[in-house]
Amino acid sequence: MIEIRIHGRGGQGAVIASKILASALFKEDKFVQSFPTFGVERRGAPVAAFIRIDEEQILVRSQIYKPDDVIVLDPTLIDAVDVTQGLKSGGWILINTTRAPKEFDKLSEFRVATVDASGIAAKHGLGSKAHPIVNTAILGAFARITGYVKLESILEAITEEVPFARKANVEASKEAFRSVKTESDVVLKSESES
Amino acid sequence: MKKVMMGNHAVSYGARLSRVDVIAAYPITPQTQIVEELSELCADGKLDAKFIKVESEHSAMASCMGASAAGGRAFTATSSQGLALMHELLHFSSGGRLPIVMANVNRALGPGWNIWTEQTDSLAQRDTGWLQFYCENNQEVLDTVIMSYKIAEQLSLPVMLVLDAFILSHTYEIVDIPEQEAIDGYLPPYKPEIKMDVDNPHAFGALVTPDHYYEIRYKLQETMDRAPEVARKAGEEYGKLVGRPYDIVEPYMLDDADVVIVAAGTLVSNSRAVINEYREKGIKVGLLKLRMFRPFPTKRVRELLAGKKKIAVIDRNISFGATGIFYQELKAALYGQNNGAGSPDIFGFIIGLGGRDVTLEDIAEIVDYTLEKEKNEEDIIWMGLKR
Amino acid sequence: MSKKITFTSIADLPPLVVSMGTTEVNATGSWRYLRPVYHDKTAPCIEGCPASEDIEQYMYWAARGDFDKAWEVLVEENPFPAVCGRVCYHPCESSCNRDHFDQSLGINSIERFIGDHGLEFSLDRFKVAEEREQKIAVAGAGPAGLAAAYHLRRLGYQVTVYEKEEKPGGILQYGIPRYRLPKHILEAEIMRLERFGVEIKTGVQVGKDIPWNEFLQHDAVFLAVGVHKSRKLNVPGEDLDGVIAGLDFLSRINSGEDVSLGKNVAVIGGGNTAMDAVRTALRLGSTPAIYYRRTRAEMPAILDEIEEAEREGIPMEFLVTPVELIGENGALKAMKLQRMELGEPDESGRRRPVPVEGSEYVVEVDNVITAIGEQGDFTSIPEKLIEWGVVKSDAFGQTEQRPVFAGGDIIEQPHTVVHAIGSGKKAAMAIHAYLNGGDIATLADKIHVGNKGGVSFLRFRDGHEGDPVDNHEVVTFENINTSYFTRKDRHQVPELDVKTRITNFEEVKGTIDREAAMDEALRCFNCGVCNMCDNCLVFCPDVAIKRRDDRFRYEIDYAYCKGCGICVVECPRSALSLVPEGK
Repeated sequence: MIEIRIHGRGGQGAVIASKILASALFKEDKFVQSFPTFGVERRGAPVAAFIRIDEEQILVRSQIYKPDDVIVLDPTLIDAVDVTQGLKSGGWILINTTRAPKEFDKLSEFRVATVDASGIAAKHGLGSKAHPIVNTAILGAFARITGYVKLESILEAITEEVPFARKANVEASKEAFRSVKTESDVVLKSESES
Repeated sequence: MKKVMMGNHAVSYGARLSRVDVIAAYPITPQTQIVEELSELCADGKLDAKFIKVESEHSAMASCMGASAAGGRAFTATSSQGLALMHELLHFSSGGRLPIVMANVNRALGPGWNIWTEQTDSLAQRDTGWLQFYCENNQEVLDTVIMSYKIAEQLSLPVMLVLDAFILSHTYEIVDIPEQEAIDGYLPPYKPEIKMDVDNPHAFGALVTPDHYYEIRYKLQETMDRAPEVARKAGEEYGKLVGRPYDIVEPYMLDDADVVIVAAGTLVSNSRAVINEYREKGIKVGLLKLRMFRPFPTKRVRELLAGKKKIAVIDRNISFGATGIFYQELKAALYGQNNGAGSPDIFGFIIGLGGRDVTLEDIAEIVDYTLEKEKNEEDIIWMGLKR
Repeated sequence: MSKKITFTSIADLPPLVVSMGTTEVNATGSWRYLRPVYHDKTAPCIEGCPASEDIEQYMYWAARGDFDKAWEVLVEENPFPAVCGRVCYHPCESSCNRDHFDQSLGINSIERFIGDHGLEFSLDRFKVAEEREQKIAVAGAGPAGLAAAYHLRRLGYQVTVYEKEEKPGGILQYGIPRYRLPKHILEAEIMRLERFGVEIKTGVQVGKDIPWNEFLQHDAVFLAVGVHKSRKLNVPGEDLDGVIAGLDFLSRINSGEDVSLGKNVAVIGGGNTAMDAVRTALRLGSTPAIYYRRTRAEMPAILDEIEEAEREGIPMEFLVTPVELIGENGALKAMKLQRMELGEPDESGRRRPVPVEGSEYVVEVDNVITAIGEQGDFTSIPEKLIEWGVVKSDAFGQTEQRPVFAGGDIIEQPHTVVHAIGSGKKAAMAIHAYLNGGDIATLADKIHVGNKGGVSFLRFRDGHEGDPVDNHEVVTFENINTSYFTRKDRHQVPELDVKTRITNFEEVKGTIDREAAMDEALRCFNCGVCNMCDNCLVFCPDVAIKRRDDRFRYEIDYAYCKGCGICVVECPRSALSLVPEGK
């Protein structure tokens, strides 16, 4: 079973991201479970959403304490909350930032990847410049680095789950897939975007 | 068709497939999305039902009663304080023999104010004459809505289906949505023999003197006594239709179990995961899932637990001044049968009140405790209490 | 059911708690000591309208999109909806109960839409009851004269209207500027009357072209010659070139004459003539200003007109009065003004302006237009009919000399178009009663709507269908069950922007569209009149209320109505009343 945690701020679409990811995995015949932080969500406050992926029916219904990988939608969260809490050693931490992965030297225990999802989202007119909606873009990057799910499944799930600007969301996700950077600071060689 | 959906929307889909005529509800976290979705379905013309906006849960139930009495298929949903506010009319609707179906999202009662899951809200309504079903996952939620109408309309009694706040209500997972045609065959339009009709007016729910009230109560209980069999058949028939049979109680690895967990709701799901781990280690742990709580499936419980030595009842609820409620009910079912010698030791665990997370480790601790203890020493075993 | 049912075993019991027999045996009507009755009342707008238009009824039809029917209801009382929808000061709206809830209903804008609808589709389904031989003459083809002629014609009389001017319409033709009332609208509404058999003879002055005695040879006559003489300022210099009487000014412009004004034009006064004159002067290219001896609050002009003048950037100087007009070589050059202050209230209830000593100052002016009031020119009317500058008459326009009746601005009443129309209607009724040997006073109770003197032509000719109506009980806001209404702002009327409009005489305000008219009419509370909302039927706990086959309301089955009064309380509009049983 793979467990993933998405960090964001209320209003950034962390919950929708978790749902899109779950739907995409479902398309590949995986068993999935996704859920938000239980309780009240306030705009701007740190929130989290979770996904479980397995080959068989998922029975566990507790919170996720030891995620395999973490996605961080807002770079300011790195200082605000402990985004690596419980993260398994060697797990992916994908951060939405313009900085290079090697600049996050405190995270050396993990595999760091970065993508300028805000820039990509703004470029595709998602949200506003000050407040870009990054949840679809970052999933493209996540698909690329982890290989858990095909980009096309992500794109299909986006088309189904996002109520408007579907094309822009799809394009943003594709662009993030292309431009995500890992520790070696080299853009991953694209096998296929199909 | 399979879809990734949250538990609340599974309820809405269930109601839609049941072709409900009237929906009257008042919003309350964590239930709101159920009726939000239904109101949209009505507004979009995807569901041909009358959606009544009301000013309270009491009014919601009152509206459902009117609709049901007039021969409509009525639906509502609520949670916690909302259910508590309905209490008076829960008696009225069962006494009126109205087959209303209600989804209750299990949420703790305040204060302290708390929107997270706990079973006390629904269990506190156990004496109202409503049938109660507890669901383990979102698939079961959707299916139970449909089966609830099947059962309710055969018995002329209302049914409450229960799902855990957030753990199901807000959690997305894969749900198979049955074909409308199949459900239409399973659940024909509701056509009561006696209904309110302005062209042939009768008095409903009027005064009944001591001469007859006693017999009226007897009849309600008599119907309740028939309910387990009706519900079992409804689950069996539903299984034939969609390939997912349901029963009123469901054993898991029970036959050879040295320790039996008894639970309801999502605690069942967690328990299954733990049992699988123990079985891999060769430890014989089993489970009895209580799907139906009212009427209490006493006969089936006695049969299935006959000869068992140790039972761990997991309660995410409490009856203040007494114990966990499933624990009480289970003891009441198993004792006093004039066979005291064979009665098992029953351990009562209280866990996860007000939405405190229940982990697999917690369930394992319950199993280990039960395996270890020679016999039960206390009525409440508090799990994870910060002493 | 007299037989007592006894259950002896569980098997006997019904499956649920339900009566074995029908509850129809229980005639709960025997408990009743208060009886609900459908009892229409009068809406405050109708009482507020001097022409007593059945506003509530035409709103009912307008809300349902039946504007033909709405128009019929409207012209039952007032022959000129397209005119009144433009020029009326709409006291109906200030009486509207909705005003206490959010904003009063836009009655005037709906009336205008209905009026235009009537013109667009050439509606003229008037009916003459039965032709009569009696001949009636009307002096003056203004709103009062034409309204009287219209109603008299409907009653079957042969009516001739004599008008001294070249065209009919009176103040509507010669007083009100085109930008408020385009001529083609007025003419279309008057032509409809002519098609209907009202004869209008223009260029004929009663008392001059037709001698008074000859005029009196008719079976009845109606005097509505209006007041056309502007009051004088009574200050030195009033005869200078450049001093113009307001009504003359407007009349000349309306007749298509070129009136050349200088740059600085002072309009003296605060009434409608002053507003019309000042806005007209602006459109002629001058820089006019208003000089008024009291403050804005006391201005007698329609508020809309004051606001429009302000919007058009016209300066208004308050608490000043001209004390001398100064000329050079016989031509006006300047005006000496004196400041005023408000003193004790006068007989009009407004505070009397009192001159401030030593406050005189002079402004340069090229023209002064006087608009401080009008008076009648009664030289052609027998002196005995006149008293205190008006024609003496009762509430129905009956003078002391039969068969002379009078109405409009020459009798004691406010000088508005709608009052004139109302007075014409009342006089028509009085003439009909007189010619049939009756007395209109005996009918007062039947035909009055509300308690402010308004009368209903519909009720006069006994055309009211449905349940009994209490003409005199006017619904107040407290009688409305506001739980059944949601707050909603009224529709705005389209308007030309200021820059464009002040360069020409294009109509300033527009007509709302059909959807807006329906939507606005839906805001109507329908005070006091059942509109079949079904609330009573839904709420009756005894199911004792049933719809009737005709449109008019419901039937109460008193065998079952126990008089609980829920229907009365839940009626949103007070169309039901509870009366003691046995009365």
